[in-house]
Amino acid sequence: MRVMKEKEIKQTREEQTNQPALINGHAHGPRVSVLASACAFTCQREHVKELQSRILSLASAFSGHVPVASCGADASDAIFVLPLGEPCGHRVVVVWLVLLAAWRNAEAHYHDRSVGSLGRNFRPSTLKQATTSAGQNPSTAAGNTGMDEANGNKAAVADIQSSAAGTAKPEPPSESQSLLRTRRWIVLSFWAIVVCFGLPHWLWTTSTYRASLPLEQMNNWAEGKACQLYFPFNIRLGVQGWSQGEVDQLAEQVRPLLDGTDKQSPFAFLIDTHESDCGYAQADEAVAVSLAVNDGRNAHEHISSLESWSSTLSLRYGLARPKGRDGLARWVADEVREVFQPQIESLIHLLSGTPFALERTALTTAATQAKLDARNTRAFKYASTYHLTFSLFVSGSSPAAWEIEEALHDYLEPLIDALKAISNITVDTQVQLHASFSPSIACPVYDKSSKEWKLRKEDLSGFINAAEWPLSPSIGSGPTINFVLYAPTPTQSPLVIAETGGSSWLVPQWGGVAILNSQTHTTRLSKADLEPTMLTFADQLTSLIGLPAEPAQSLALRLKALSRERATSLILSSSSTLGALSRLTLKLTSIAIPDTVAASVQTSLDHLTLACSDLKAGRYESALTHARTADEASEKAFFEPSMVGQVYFPDEHKVAVYVPLLGPMAVPLVMIGLKELVKFRDARRKVKTG
Amino acid sequence: MACNPRNTFPGAVFNSRERSVDLYDGVFGAGDGLGLEDVQRNGGIEVDYRGNEVTVETFIRLLTDRFPSSYPRSKRLVTDERSNILIYMTGHGGNEFLKFQDSEEIGAVDLADAFEQMHEKRRYNSILFLVDTCQAGTLLPSLRSPNIIAAGSSKKDQSSYSHHADQDIGIAVIDRWTYYNLEFLEREVTSTSSNKTIGQLFDSYDPLLVHSDTEVRYDLFEGGAQKARERRVLDFFGNVQAVEMGGDTEEEQQWREDLVGLKRLIERNMQAREDAALHPLLSEATITAAEAPLGLLKKFQVVSAKATSGWSKGVGGAMALVSLGVGWSMASYFEY
Repeated sequence: MRVMKEKEIKQTREEQTNQPALINGHAHGPRVSVLASACAFTCQREHVKELQSRILSLASAFSGHVPVASCGADASDAIFVLPLGEPCGHRVVVVWLVLLAAWRNAEAHYHDRSVGSLGRNFRPSTLKQATTSAGQNPSTAAGNTGMDEANGNKAAVADIQSSAAGTAKPEPPSESQSLLRTRRWIVLSFWAIVVCFGLPHWLWTTSTYRASLPLEQMNNWAEGKACQLYFPFNIRLGVQGWSQGEVDQLAEQVRPLLDGTDKQSPFAFLIDTHESDCGYAQADEAVAVSLAVNDGRNAHEHISSLESWSSTLSLRYGLARPKGRDGLARWVADEVREVFQPQIESLIHLLSGTPFALERTALTTAATQAKLDARNTRAFKYASTYHLTFSLFVSGSSPAAWEIEEALHDYLEPLIDALKAISNITVDTQVQLHASFSPSIACPVYDKSSKEWKLRKEDLSGFINAAEWPLSPSIGSGPTINFVLYAPTPTQSPLVIAETGGSSWLVPQWGGVAILNSQTHTTRLSKADLEPTMLTFADQLTSLIGLPAEPAQSLALRLKALSRERATSLILSSSSTLGALSRLTLKLTSIAIPDTVAASVQTSLDHLTLACSDLKAGRYESALTHARTADEASEKAFFEPSMVGQVYFPDEHKVAVYVPLLGPMAVPLVMIGLKELVKFRDARRKVKTG
Repeated sequence: MACNPRNTFPGAVFNSRERSVDLYDGVFGAGDGLGLEDVQRNGGIEVDYRGNEVTVETFIRLLTDRFPSSYPRSKRLVTDERSNILIYMTGHGGNEFLKFQDSEEIGAVDLADAFEQMHEKRRYNSILFLVDTCQAGTLLPSLRSPNIIAAGSSKKDQSSYSHHADQDIGIAVIDRWTYYNLEFLEREVTSTSSNKTIGQLFDSYDPLLVHSDTEVRYDLFEGGAQKARERRVLDFFGNVQAVEMGGDTEEEQQWREDLVGLKRLIERNMQAREDAALHPLLSEATITAAEAPLGLLKKFQVVSAKATSGWSKGVGGAMALVSLGVGWSMASYFEY
């Protein structure tokens, strides 16, 4: 047993003499790093197995990740594969290094002790002696290098024993048993504190809180699996002077013609022939088709007309037409389809490119595609609140006032009220005198032939003097839609656009501009003066809000179409936000997720489900409300302000921070712990062998 | 910089030793006898973040829009999937970082993460990301989000140099790469209808003049290098707003009719709503009724959960302290 130990010592010595840089645990050699020195020490083949099995099990106990150590071709060189990329990787490395350093110290102590007569202070001289004795004896050196190891070692061991015997000093007096026990208790209590409080504390304070999110549900929504979008169009069919049975029969004929052959289509027409007695909401959602059949002998007419303010399609059909009664159903179906076609196209356009996209999307032509794209780029993105700002910029000093309140009340308020079902709208007005042109545009040019001042088309985009005109974009939350009325000086009036002769233009996603070319020079603009401008603004507002242009005759139907589109787009955007959040939480593992995010996500999911079921049932207004809540909640979850705090730290930085912090504290602790363990083991072996 | 007490020209920032253009709007320093009377005023350059506000955190927040709801809209990056964004960063930097304010730095990974978040939330259509700093190229490889054209002024282990210094101000006023970028824009992009492309801009860098090799990444862009190089410089550098002309008399007439119709529609709706209020429809009413308590309940749960977690943390901390104290006294007990 004793001999075996000394064999180990000898090997260690040999290694130390081969690598003079490695004395007392400090590496100054070519590999100047803690790792390298630790490796160089440990990677003698006999050592490494024992060391690995013991230290690695200790190290891995902290994290569950097993670091791997292996010896390279050169016995003093080792490669350590450490799980740096893993979560908690840096912690493993810290524990690892501390353990290695401690083991190295403990071993050194142990060997010093086990040689018996050698105190720590005598070590350099002993080393020297061992080296010189090896060098002085050529036969031993030859045995070491050329012959089998055991022989050489034996010789070397004998060498050391003899040299050690020569310089032997008495062992220090052995400590009393009670003292040893007390020391053991001290060590144990320190370890207990570290393990029971220190480590949990460390883990607790360095971990980020991540609330659990319903990732699967979120992904389902993002991938369009959670909800099959379905758009029923309610139609209430009424025929003047027909009995209920006849109307039902007509409805039966019209229904298959409307639905067409496509059974999978998400657009369905539900025809109701009963007079509205089911309450307000459903009655209002439905489009009334009122058909008048003229069975007169010369009745050839077939007229369909829409009314601006109501969602009623009035049809007049003369039975004297060639196909007579048989053609009636087809004609009614065609007329109804025509009303809904733009709506269907824009919904398909809206869904295209999203996971909710429909399989059959060949309905739209390139022309409609372009038209819908243009409408999309012109309009603001949906917001629950829009701020309208009406500004009068006067080039000179008059007109200095305008009857804007009255004008707004008469010309814009009806539209704003109608839009309020979709978004909140607030209105502000302002007047600015002596407003100069932006310096970046060319001044208008006087055209003698038409006696007009002309603005070039290129200059329209720079017409707004953003620096000096107070068009601040930040009024509360939500985007501001600007309407600018510019009154040029009388000397520069009339001011028109050179290319078209018009005096108003629209700046996509920003607002509208109009030039007031009034011939009467008053100081106060009356309501009548403002009327054309206000009508232009009303038209621009519908474009900027994204109101569909068709069916042009019926504003009521266009508003309905808008609320349908908004509900759909909100469902889409909320789903995509949830998907983005779920992907982010997986990608950015160091980001904290507070509970508020989880709560918002849940709200969003709940309302999405409600919105989806409302949409399926044709309750578009209610669907819009739920979709809006869902979208707001998901935005709130995604843009949670506290989800920024943690930034990325590379693992090397973490190790660099932790090692000086924990190393000095942990090395003595681990070292003494191991020393005590070794002592304990020896004592037990003694008992066994003795 | 403009308000630094060591600035000889308070409230002004220049990009050349001629000091012809005040980049910081000279209103503050105007006519103060420093010879700035002839300086061209730009009519005010809007600076949203200055001084202590310029931090890595604000920058990341700006990109990812993680602000409290009360934060003013004018200081946010209000963009969506239709927006092109130009990000130009210049300053001191090194391998995979760029310094902010001498005290902190933004890492390549943080930047890439922020772009990735923007991409996930569809906050941009395309990004032109230009960096002028030492080893700027090292900021690029971490980027992983699509539709980004990225260029850095220098490769790894290369320095980016300044172009020239102003003796009166006492420091270098412009970096070389920035200088030649600016020169290209001033010389080649002369009008708002210029068709110069990103490819032409990047080809204009002469390593002999710039003193470093520009590193470019096209691979993230949809359609690769070719499509990226075809993008117009003005898509990013110019704020060219398209306009749509309109306003003919027919439309006005239509609107006059519509407005009359609208008024009637609203009156009818009001009437209908009043009726509906008298005879509430079951389905809608039940949904709202069922929902309201649920929402309230959740709110309360969240609040109470927060409260307990705060308390439990406090108690946990106190326990830990007490037990450490016990451990300490135990240790001193064993000493005797």
